[in-house]
Amino acid sequence: MSDETLGASLAQSKQGGLVTRVLKRLEPTLWVLASISIFVGFWEFAWWRGWANPLLLPPPHIFLANLPDQFRFFDPGGTRAGALATGGSIFSVLGVIAWSSLRVTVGLALGFVLSLAIGIGIRYFRVFGKLVLPLVTMLAPISPVAWLPVAVFIFGIGNPPAIFLVFIAIFFIMTLATLSQIDNVPVHYIQLARIMGCSKRQIYRHVILPSILPELFVTLRMNLFAAWMAVLIAEAVGVGSGLGQVTMMARNTFNASLVFFTMTLIGLTGFAFDQILRHIQRKVLWWVGPSNVGGL
Amino acid sequence: MTLGLKITNVSKTWNPDGADPVPAVRNLTLDVALGEFVVLLGPSGCGKSSLLYIVAGLEDATEGSVTFDGLEVTEPSPERSLIFQEASLYPWLTVQDNITFGLKIAGQSPKKQEEAAERLLRLVGLVGAGERRPHELSGGMRQRAALARALAMEPKVLLMDEPFAALDIQTRARMQGHLLNIWESSKASVLLVTHSIDEALALADRVVVFTARPGQIKAEIAITAPRPRDMRSPEMIDLARQCEALLGEEVEKSFKEQELT
Repeated sequence: MSDETLGASLAQSKQGGLVTRVLKRLEPTLWVLASISIFVGFWEFAWWRGWANPLLLPPPHIFLANLPDQFRFFDPGGTRAGALATGGSIFSVLGVIAWSSLRVTVGLALGFVLSLAIGIGIRYFRVFGKLVLPLVTMLAPISPVAWLPVAVFIFGIGNPPAIFLVFIAIFFIMTLATLSQIDNVPVHYIQLARIMGCSKRQIYRHVILPSILPELFVTLRMNLFAAWMAVLIAEAVGVGSGLGQVTMMARNTFNASLVFFTMTLIGLTGFAFDQILRHIQRKVLWWVGPSNVGGL
Repeated sequence: MTLGLKITNVSKTWNPDGADPVPAVRNLTLDVALGEFVVLLGPSGCGKSSLLYIVAGLEDATEGSVTFDGLEVTEPSPERSLIFQEASLYPWLTVQDNITFGLKIAGQSPKKQEEAAERLLRLVGLVGAGERRPHELSGGMRQRAALARALAMEPKVLLMDEPFAALDIQTRARMQGHLLNIWESSKASVLLVTHSIDEALALADRVVVFTARPGQIKAEIAITAPRPRDMRSPEMIDLARQCEALLGEEVEKSFKEQELT
């Protein structure tokens, strides 16, 4: 290739590069929008043909039409519950979302740290493991819903039972995941550590912990949605504020528009949570190649 | 007291109390002198890797004893470092942190670690790659980093389990040359396992040919030719033929055994 054509092709690739780069950056977002549009399209079509009763299944253009009317059902304090609530601004909506998010975040953090500690403890201390593992395995299949009365008996009403329920929703699964991850640490990693003179404690700290964290974080992300479901149940029944409470109140007052509006908020918040966890995973657990973080 | 490695009447059976015990090594006696380069050559699955793990102290022998510099081998030690077929660098550490991992565990100061890393990176030809992540390196570079990590602990014997088997032929030849240089300057003994006759002849002071499983010593061939060796010289071709004949019988045997089961 002569210098001239090389220069020309470089300029071209630079120019093409800008457009391609912009498209590349936008591409994920465009796919998300397309995905939502298909769903909304079907729904609106069903309404237009008269298949979907607007009272029971109001399509997005109806339940998103009168936002201030929807907003007034949101009260972050949860003091004026139900149809009496006189919230009304976008901030009260964000406040309600924030409360639910806070409960999920605290519950997730507690669940992650404690399940990691207990999981490592089970493998590290033989007797402890033999005593605790059967218990964990037996408690794991119990649905968070079944724990709800227990949560209320122990913690009464308010934030603690909701956080407890989120914690329960992920704790046992994450503990079992920790065990399976520990058992799957490549045997060469541990053999090398032994050759290098690591004590058992050092092997756990310097080899096992860093090698199980990435997969555990993925497991945490997968259980994020279970945590969201748990918090909504707790809010609907035991707390009296948050997105779950609004949904339940909307159900009780037969306000289908509000039901779907709240479901939209829940979906968007859950999506945002997943994105945030993904971002943290990329930043903190850099040694897992980007290909292992998962699409989108 | 004898210096060096002394393997006496070692037998190893995997799963000895189970329904299906697998004898890996039987009644094996082998000495490796200080600074000697010994290659274990045998068909795959003949127990030569098992022997390496026993010498490393990662596995116990079912019978017999292994001593190093007169002391019984009971547990792993940095002075008997093992290098695997896959480099097994820790993916969460940089190349440099991988190399100094053992020094850090031993409680050496960061300054000393830094110096050691610089020296070792130069020794294995990875200058400038210290801050890279293992997944950014080629297979050959990773294996050199693993070598540097082992050398950081100043081992008296390097145990190598088919260290170059996963590399392409060209990289392999370069790595063998590299290994010889490092071995000559470090004065460590090397016990290397391979199933490649060429590799065995290019590297060894002494080639130990294994039988099919359970592994026993079939023959020992001393090679006095100076290195680097011309593999096409009549002497080396003759040795290669000998090895081929010895190994061929064993490969035949292990094939027959596999057909039966």
